[in-house]
Amino acid sequence: MLGTASCGFGSLALSALIARSKEFPGLSPKLPLIPARAKRVIFLCMSGGPAQMDTFDHKPQTGKKPHPGSAYEFAPHGESGLKISELLPETAKHADKLCVLNGMFCDTGIHAQSFLQLHTGDRLRERPSLGAWVGYGLGTENQNLPGFISLNSSRPNCHGSAFLPAVFQGTPIGINGEDMARATIPNVTGDHLPPDSKRKQLDFIQRLNRDHRERSGDDPRLEAVIQSMELGYRMQTAAPGLMDLATEPKSVLERYQVGRKYAVGTCRESDFGRQCLLARRFCEAGVRFVEVNHGSWDQHKDHRRDLEANCLATDAPIAALLQDLEERGMLEETLVVWGGEFGRPGLTPGGKDETGHNQNGFTFWLAGGGVKPGFTYGATDETGARAVEGKMHFRDLHATILHLLGLNPNELTFPHAGRDHRLTGPEGGRVVEDIFS
Amino acid sequence: MQECYECHSAKAKKIGGKLRLDTTAGLKKGGESGSPIVPGKPEDSLIIHALKWQGDLEMPPEDPLSEAVIADFVRWIEMGAPAPLDAQPEQEASSETPPARVYKSGNLWSFQPIQNHAPPKVDVDTWSRTPIDSFAFAKMLEHDLKPAADASSRVLVRRLFIDLIGLPPSFEETAAFEAAFESDAPRAIQQLVDKLLASPHFGERWGRHWLDVARYAESNGNDGLSRNASFPNAWRYRDYVIDAFNRDTPYDQFLSEQIAGDLLEVNSDAERDRNLVATGFLALGAKPATAMNTNFAMDVVADQIDVIGSGILGLSVACARCHDHKFDPIPTRDYYAMAGLFTSSETLWGIAANEKLTAPPTPLHVLKTPPKVTAPPEALKLMEETEALEMRNYARPKEEFTYAPGTPVAMGVRDRKAPANCKINLKGDAKKLGEAVPRGFLTAYESKALREIAIPPKQSGRRQLAAWLVHPHHPQTARVMVNRIWAHLFGKGLVGTPDDFGVYGEKPTHPELLDSLATSFVTEHHWSVKAMIRSIVLSRTYQLDSRAAAGPLQSDPDNLWLARHLRRRMDAETLRDSILKTSGNLNPEPAEGSPIRHLELLVNRAPDLHQPSTHRSVYLCMLRNSPPKELAAFDLPDSLKVTGKRDQTMLPTQSLFLLNSTFVTAQAEVFAKSLDAQSAIEARIQSVWKRTLKRAPTPVELSDARILVDTMQPRPQAWPALCQALLATNEFRYVD
Repeated sequence: MLGTASCGFGSLALSALIARSKEFPGLSPKLPLIPARAKRVIFLCMSGGPAQMDTFDHKPQTGKKPHPGSAYEFAPHGESGLKISELLPETAKHADKLCVLNGMFCDTGIHAQSFLQLHTGDRLRERPSLGAWVGYGLGTENQNLPGFISLNSSRPNCHGSAFLPAVFQGTPIGINGEDMARATIPNVTGDHLPPDSKRKQLDFIQRLNRDHRERSGDDPRLEAVIQSMELGYRMQTAAPGLMDLATEPKSVLERYQVGRKYAVGTCRESDFGRQCLLARRFCEAGVRFVEVNHGSWDQHKDHRRDLEANCLATDAPIAALLQDLEERGMLEETLVVWGGEFGRPGLTPGGKDETGHNQNGFTFWLAGGGVKPGFTYGATDETGARAVEGKMHFRDLHATILHLLGLNPNELTFPHAGRDHRLTGPEGGRVVEDIFS
Repeated sequence: MQECYECHSAKAKKIGGKLRLDTTAGLKKGGESGSPIVPGKPEDSLIIHALKWQGDLEMPPEDPLSEAVIADFVRWIEMGAPAPLDAQPEQEASSETPPARVYKSGNLWSFQPIQNHAPPKVDVDTWSRTPIDSFAFAKMLEHDLKPAADASSRVLVRRLFIDLIGLPPSFEETAAFEAAFESDAPRAIQQLVDKLLASPHFGERWGRHWLDVARYAESNGNDGLSRNASFPNAWRYRDYVIDAFNRDTPYDQFLSEQIAGDLLEVNSDAERDRNLVATGFLALGAKPATAMNTNFAMDVVADQIDVIGSGILGLSVACARCHDHKFDPIPTRDYYAMAGLFTSSETLWGIAANEKLTAPPTPLHVLKTPPKVTAPPEALKLMEETEALEMRNYARPKEEFTYAPGTPVAMGVRDRKAPANCKINLKGDAKKLGEAVPRGFLTAYESKALREIAIPPKQSGRRQLAAWLVHPHHPQTARVMVNRIWAHLFGKGLVGTPDDFGVYGEKPTHPELLDSLATSFVTEHHWSVKAMIRSIVLSRTYQLDSRAAAGPLQSDPDNLWLARHLRRRMDAETLRDSILKTSGNLNPEPAEGSPIRHLELLVNRAPDLHQPSTHRSVYLCMLRNSPPKELAAFDLPDSLKVTGKRDQTMLPTQSLFLLNSTFVTAQAEVFAKSLDAQSAIEARIQSVWKRTLKRAPTPVELSDARILVDTMQPRPQAWPALCQALLATNEFRYVD
């Protein structure tokens, strides 16, 4: 009988929608409206503003006007000849998988606002995050796991569902610089009872809950709780195994650099390798959207030292993730997204080892999920200060990601406070089809 | 050129940087930064650097010009910068202010004066008992709805206990009320309500509601760079709030104390201390890292304006920091008029873990009456260890920011010696300043009395702000508060967005009722929250059953028209407190202080700071980004902003909390141990049902429970498993 409750999140969403509005779209898992190129997303969120000129946007001194330019050497890599900084030797081995967007720009150089805008499309108000919109649009694949997981998340409003039904909010694992090795899904295990006793106990609870529901009139939330109890119970079997990396071969742990923590200057010890490996495992298990967080790339002083640490902490794990996704045949249906809330200008003139913020031109890269591999789209001017070609705002990035997932970005809406809202805001976003493979 | 001439021409209200670009003389003479143009040499011309946003100067300040326009400037300078058409000779710069965005007055309901409506007259109304009922009944009829049945006495007693004190009644209390109700229902209800309002648990329940509004927390929260400094003295504000609700401090006074407690006349040291602690309201906010953030001081002000705007006025005043509010009648000028009150005040948050990158150290209010409590050795050791973990040497804070060990101190605000008006920050950027705006309040009100409240030049103006907020003519303060009270009692406000009475917010479902309540709150009840609650819960509307026929469920799923009561899930605190009370493990006394009262440290670097406690949940340590584990699963507010309405998520992690958490399993063990092991199995099952669900089990339930107990493995877990199961049921966790 409990097997019939396996519609999981989608059905919860349905109940939430009924409670919320009179009309509701069908859910879980939904067929995309346009042919999907990707089924899921891994967002490698580099908070603080990664320095694009020292990673993916080479700015040598070629023009007449002297400018700070790139502080590190670049070399062409792979068949595509994509130029990547010497700081990212491992990622560079996967140059032919990357689709580098060098024409990114956004509205503000204020961290918190831009970070929020990157996640939700709005820099001031609480809005559903990208992962929540994706869940709302596509439902979930694995009924034993949440559809949206945010690893080492920094701010609840960046993985929140705001006015979307709460089932679409991201489940955070590891918050606020917590040691990721200790991070867990709270209470996902409990050894006070053996599994069959727990099942027996839950069946008893659910019988009482169903009787209570029958007596209580027609209240969709009571049914939603019954199903949520069931999903929680099922997560006990699915989630701890996924979180436990003991089954991974030592070579894999080494490739991801699991447990290696770099804490230098602004670079925080986020155990990024563990996050990347967890992301792969969650995706394999059918989680729709996994966000992986690392920071801070906000190198104002000691730019070189901190940037080198950030690159060292993330380079090998990202390479390992890309390698695994490819080897397992998952890359073509998994969209990997790398970037932060803005970029940085070159080093401050006068030989100083300092940088600031630059929202006028910076870099994101995508990989897999139906984007052109070994491709560069967009460009900044000769000083790297400003996007001049193939310009993409966050809302264009959002629109493009949703489109790759088979969703129509400007029609994926939800009614709130008297009007229909969408991720791409009133302006709408541009789907950049030039980067589609 | 249009963009330039707004500030640099005869048309400008005030000449920016003393530079005029519309006359040849002005161009040659230059401004504060020197001459803008070197004819023939665009690369040496300051104006080109400014237009390209390359140097210190970025012009135009709001948005750069397009590349094409800048290219034209370059060509023009290459040509030798021929003279523009000369305008009128220079004049004295006018100090007149630019016109603000013009709003259509009268289109936003919450700015209209409160009207005292008489209850509507319905032809045949044998249902209503109070004026509230008459308003509600008229709306039901209007929408073709019939009120549900009255709630049974068993439902009602539980609802009142949970709503008023946040604890469930015992089985015996339930039975006693049922008996009293049987003989004289109105009297039984009144007596119960009065008893609950007088209980010290009332302040713990309703104080917590206000702490949500006040975005109360005991640490700063992630400053953007993962640093989370503790606020070791914040708990004093928590205790102040609980005490204020228990004393039934009139709401106008309550607000005055929190906004201007340091400026009010007092009759005793105790009153002085209480008022100083109250101003913690303005100091508890989450602050962004000051390192690399030039807006820090204005971010603190933004938080203060937001907690007053959203918390007291129900208006998102904070939007006007960067631009005239797009919808609500709040021009940027008004924002900076209010900002001046707070830039003229000093916010005291302490040394913030002595982590200057998060927030510069400040002094604190020194209190006279509380006892000195010195830090135990463990606390000092923990701080040392955490510092060691951080791998840095703390410079000792300056003397002016340290106090003799044990000195009772509190967060808060006080006036600066020289109050000053605040300059408009163009687009919210503290580096791009416009003109100064005289200190004041929001302006879009018709009331002359409100507009006449003036701020003396030597004062910050907080005291006048308090007077302005609680002026009987203020159209929002009373409405917002009665709506908050209503929302806590009905599960939904008459205005569905309790923190937003603006254009973006929802409109009141019962505008006349809302105004009638606001009027009686001020004139009849003299801002007494207890009296307001009493008058609402004694209405028949409040006492309706939560079950409804299919018709009303279809036509009014959100219960906008109040034809039934909304069933609600217990919030995080009520659930924990109810479990504790049921297991017999609740310590009903207030907890003293906080586990972090002696700990100045970075929470993110410290080990788990939460301590096991059997006190009520309001006393648990409320750290931002590190909430108590017993509460975290059930939608605690993040304390970053005003939270008038908590989320109601339904996540599988909540189920896992009920099924696996050490808190629930430990309470189930205590519960099971307290059962009389000598009594028959069926008697014990009866007892479990009575203590959790306040009723006897049905025969089917009894036999089910018996099977569970008989077959559960391992055997010692049989009774704890049954107790836990009952604590996890919807019937236990939902309030009808």
